Amino acid sequence: MSKKRPYRSKMRILADMMRAIQSEGEEGAGPTKILYSANLSHDRLTQYLDELVEKELIKEMDPESNNRSYLLTEKGREFLREFVRMERFSEAFGIEI
Amino acid sequence: MQAELGIIRLDLLFEIISGIIALMVTYYATKAYRLTGQKRLSDLSTGFLVLSAGMFGRVIGTWYFLAREPSDVVFGIVTVAYGVSRIMAYIIFVISTRPIHREPQEYDNAGISMLLMATFLVDPALEVIAIFFLVIVVLQAILNYMTTRSKFAWYVLVGFVLLLVSHIMMAQVGVAPGLYLLSQGAQLLGFLSLLVMLYQAGRDI
Repeated sequence: MSKKRPYRSKMRILADMMRAIQSEGEEGAGPTKILYSANLSHDRLTQYLDELVEKELIKEMDPESNNRSYLLTEKGREFLREFVRMERFSEAFGIEI
Repeated sequence: MQAELGIIRLDLLFEIISGIIALMVTYYATKAYRLTGQKRLSDLSTGFLVLSAGMFGRVIGTWYFLAREPSDVVFGIVTVAYGVSRIMAYIIFVISTRPIHREPQEYDNAGISMLLMATFLVDPALEVIAIFFLVIVVLQAILNYMTTRSKFAWYVLVGFVLLLVSHIMMAQVGVAPGLYLLSQGAQLLGFLSLLVMLYQAGRDI
């Protein structure tokens, strides 16, 4: 019997993408790395990357280049810190976010 | 009489501190709800808000009772309102912290409303009902801790266990009045455990 994949909210998916970007440090993370780390389809990846850029949570390192790489902005780092706090709080009460 | 008043004042001080901590948990749960949109965090926030409202209601009601001519009616109302608010809060905790393995389903609103309404129909033997619901909350907290093994879940488990102990002691006050202050102390320790969880969860990595 296959195990059901746990439900991930949109906010968690965005946080997973941002974690993947953060894990690459100053070098930034490319779409493939983010796609695999956050376990996303290509369509979803493109949609969410656009959303993160629009909200200024991440930025493209060199928009002119063919090899796209993304970095967290200061706003993105603060969002991720806040998300981790809320994640711990929710986990304490057994609530999935 | 002076000693009794002293105990009551200390009890009220414990209640005020516990109420403030409950409000802090309410604030944190609301903040988490706004960030994530998870409905169960909103329910948790409501539960702690109801709990703190009951605590502050009891503090104000008891002060009123002490400052004026003692009235069995006022004291009776305060006691029942306090007990009912706690039971409502525990029912909400049972709902919001229940373990699930898939996307949350829509609640049966009619069923929950009837369950909450039922708390108004009980007589002053409210401690036993509170114990019943709190046992469920504690069991869910144990399951959560066994699953996550997180220190945050541990603090919540300790908090709910101490609240349960406090209610068990309170239920015995009729035969052992000395348990009254111990019960309030256990409740305060329970809320302090939740405060430690809030502090630890709020720290940067």
